[in-house]
Amino acid sequence: MISNYIKLAWRILGRKKFFTFISLFGISFTLGILMVILSFLQSELGTDKPLTYKNDFVYLNTLSLKTDFFDTIVSIDTTFLNDEMVLDSSFEIKGTGSMNWNSELNNGIAEEYLSDLESAEEVSIFIPSSEHDVYVNGVKQTFSALYGDPSYWNIIDHQMLEGRVFDQKEMDAVAKVLVVSDKSAENYFGTKEGVLGKEMFIDGTNYKVIGMYAHTGKIMPYVSPDIVIPYTNANLDNQDSFYHGFFNVLYKKKKGVSADKLKEEIVYAATRIPMDHPSKPEGYEDIVFRPNTYDEDYAQAIYYEREASKSYSIMKWIIISLIAFFVILPTLNLINLNVSRIMDRSSEIGVRKAFGAHRGNIISQFIIENIVQTILGGLIGFGLALALINMINKGGYLMNARLELSPKFFMYSFLVTILFGILSGLLPAYKMSKLQIVNALKENKL
Amino acid sequence: MIKLKNIKKVYRTKTIETTALNDIDLHVPKGEFLSIMGPSGCGKSTLLNIIGLLDAPSDGNILVAGKSIKNYASKETSRFRNEKLGFIFQSFHLIPDLSVLDNVELPLLYRSISSKERRTLAEEALASVGLANRKSHFPSQLSGGQKQRVAIARAIVGNPEIILADEPTGNLDSVMGDEIMGILTKLNKEEGTTIVMVTHDERMAKKTDRLIRLYDGSQVA
Repeated sequence: MISNYIKLAWRILGRKKFFTFISLFGISFTLGILMVILSFLQSELGTDKPLTYKNDFVYLNTLSLKTDFFDTIVSIDTTFLNDEMVLDSSFEIKGTGSMNWNSELNNGIAEEYLSDLESAEEVSIFIPSSEHDVYVNGVKQTFSALYGDPSYWNIIDHQMLEGRVFDQKEMDAVAKVLVVSDKSAENYFGTKEGVLGKEMFIDGTNYKVIGMYAHTGKIMPYVSPDIVIPYTNANLDNQDSFYHGFFNVLYKKKKGVSADKLKEEIVYAATRIPMDHPSKPEGYEDIVFRPNTYDEDYAQAIYYEREASKSYSIMKWIIISLIAFFVILPTLNLINLNVSRIMDRSSEIGVRKAFGAHRGNIISQFIIENIVQTILGGLIGFGLALALINMINKGGYLMNARLELSPKFFMYSFLVTILFGILSGLLPAYKMSKLQIVNALKENKL
Repeated sequence: MIKLKNIKKVYRTKTIETTALNDIDLHVPKGEFLSIMGPSGCGKSTLLNIIGLLDAPSDGNILVAGKSIKNYASKETSRFRNEKLGFIFQSFHLIPDLSVLDNVELPLLYRSISSKERRTLAEEALASVGLANRKSHFPSQLSGGQKQRVAIARAIVGNPEIILADEPTGNLDSVMGDEIMGILTKLNKEEGTTIVMVTHDERMAKKTDRLIRLYDGSQVA
């Protein structure tokens, strides 16, 4: 029966060419854009490598020194008439205000007070992105270096292509070693082959390449650096405060522990930090930490709100609105087109019902027909999406983000296509299935 | 085979009430070829639609093949139509996007039989109306008489006990009409199929076993 429906759907598409063109144009455009959005979400917020453990991340990138103060606003507004006061509307507003001095963390604070928390399975302390100009054959290139620790590799799950990562011994010994992405290796050496053991001259120092990982373009710089160097090599001369510095802390929480629990521990750790260091600016009496999950941090990077949860909820709404815009409107349009298309076939419905089709048969027939049409549109949309993704990746229109075409992307795209087909076909099919046989046969359009 | 008791059909709008059928009692025994005649608007097609469960009476009871179908759920009615009834319409009602064979196969789609068996039965039905060589054609490529023969093949493919034909020769010239009547008569005589046919054509009606006449929704003869 299904093959019969598919055959019929195919013939009807061929018979009404203009209608088919309009429908397919709408479907393919809609699905193409949706697939690009899906690819973006999957690449940036999915759990493909190197973000395998993304849902266990808790990230701290700011130490806020906080001061509270009394705030008084005085307004004088007095009206005189013939040197006599007729109206005195002077008032004062007394309230409290607070001021924050925000910066990244000093590694001393991170190592001493933040690296041993009960709910954390792994803790990595790193400088997320330090840009260095490198000259290759007289041409300037800018490399983003992450100064990290061995734990970094246990949290950010880079796919190692060759060699190894550095260990604690090398960290402690300030070994001049680095791990490079394949893309950066190619940019620097002109090839990805045989780069292990070679040296890269970064920021006035020669580093030996000990490993190479697969490049993945992500907006978050710490997820896809060009090179990773032990942070003991970083020049920390300008880190002159006990509190502030250049470092971020990334946690991978223990299994079965909530991210909120780990966040609470991080927030509490602030109370253990001494506030009597000479480098503390006067008047600042408290330290505040605002750790975020990966998604919250991502949202904050896109739309900053002091409360990351607010940013996250705004990001969610932006995504939902985008999807709604690209799905609901075209779906409604297609439903409308489908109703007129199916109305045209009311006498066929009458005949089918007369010969024994029940409502379920009619509904499934039109949904299958619609799915055939949507899959066709989906294939064209897929081609469109590939072209758009290629263009976005080549042009670098989404900062560092490189849109991926993972198996999950194909699966989600297929599901979205089928869902679109069902949604846009269900209502017209249901409506037509209710048609009275006698009235349907009277249409006599066969 | 078919028993109608006090069948009434009334169409109501806000202002007008029209009685299409008024207290129709009818018994069509198994194997009978019955024709219904009457002027336009007398309720012939309404009666046929009610017998074929395509429309519901406003009052009265219908027994088809010994079963009262009054309280049938919609799915049971569909199955009953599929297994027991076959329809032939004046304007053929073939689906233009389906080939002749696919059109004939249509009633079998709603039975749980294999596609191979469906094909075989449809080919046999087409052969029985003399159109085996037209199976791959589309309705638009056929003459009126050929279209009606395809419609007959579709009506008989599921081997129904009753065939309901609504002016099957109405859109055909007399030669074609005779040809179609010949097929129906043969079906009735050789297969024992009960046939109820609505017609305007006295000549065709005379070829059937019995003729009833309707006038203004009532049976007059």
